[in-house]
Amino acid sequence: MAEGWPVMGTVLVVGTTFGVVARQSGLEPVQVAAMSVLVFAGASQFAMVQLFSESAPAAIVIASVLFINLRHLLMATSLRAQLQRLPLAGRLVAGFVLTDESFAMTTGYFRRGGRSLAYYFAFAVSLYVLWNLATLAGIAIGSAIGDPRRLGIDFAITATFTGIVVLAIRHRSEAVIAVVAAVVAGGLALAGASTVAVITAGALAPLIAVVTRR
Amino acid sequence: MIWIAIGGSALATFLVRSTPFVVTIRGRLPPAASRYLEALPVAIIAALVGPAVVAPAGTLTHGAEPIAAALVVATVAWRRSLLGGVIVGVVAVALLRVI
Repeated sequence: MAEGWPVMGTVLVVGTTFGVVARQSGLEPVQVAAMSVLVFAGASQFAMVQLFSESAPAAIVIASVLFINLRHLLMATSLRAQLQRLPLAGRLVAGFVLTDESFAMTTGYFRRGGRSLAYYFAFAVSLYVLWNLATLAGIAIGSAIGDPRRLGIDFAITATFTGIVVLAIRHRSEAVIAVVAAVVAGGLALAGASTVAVITAGALAPLIAVVTRR
Repeated sequence: MIWIAIGGSALATFLVRSTPFVVTIRGRLPPAASRYLEALPVAIIAALVGPAVVAPAGTLTHGAEPIAAALVVATVAWRRSLLGGVIVGVVAVALLRVI
């Protein structure tokens, strides 16, 4: 578990940032807390805040979150063999707390020959608790700060997304997809189609990966 | 509206995370579908950046956001630090809006 400390530190920082920017965007404290308790998905929660601030319809918010999290289908499928021996309730809890981080750490643990499912649950549940505590801290800080635009704090979500994209890019094709998605979405927003800009550009740009080979 | 979106997003997230643990899916995804799903998160997150940079608050930017976003890209690419990039971006946009 010791190798998990950097991940836990990051979760604390990002969770606090989420609480601050979500509160600053005008959401009620109970709504911000409920997002971390019920949804528990970092990038999705930031995306929801952004879409709420643009007054996007609920269907667009839900569809965007679904698309962002579709990758978890692949992760859960890859962990299925190890978790299959659990009772149904245990498997449902395992699914609820599944994140990129717990998937990555547990996959590494299994590849090193680890067998204990306690590793997965200890790590995944710790991240859930930390994420929610950090969100509460962020709500308190966000409620205390004044006008967000004056301090540039409204830009924190955009900066976070930009950083996530840069860190996630490993191949040139992914850089092309990211640039195309950003440009198409920006163009649609300027053309007045801001409600469907993100979901349209986000769903179309990955087709580049389908037609190109690495 | 916000509560419906939160509840629906929670349900959607739970379904994609737990369905493979509950339902046995036979066979494998075609490689093209796997490549699409792998590229999807980065594309969606990048798509969120576009409108926020060119049209923050719904109107054409005066230039602060694109410059700050470029500084974030440079910082994160150079230092591999998400937090460092966010701090640089927030400070840059605050200063550029004053100019």
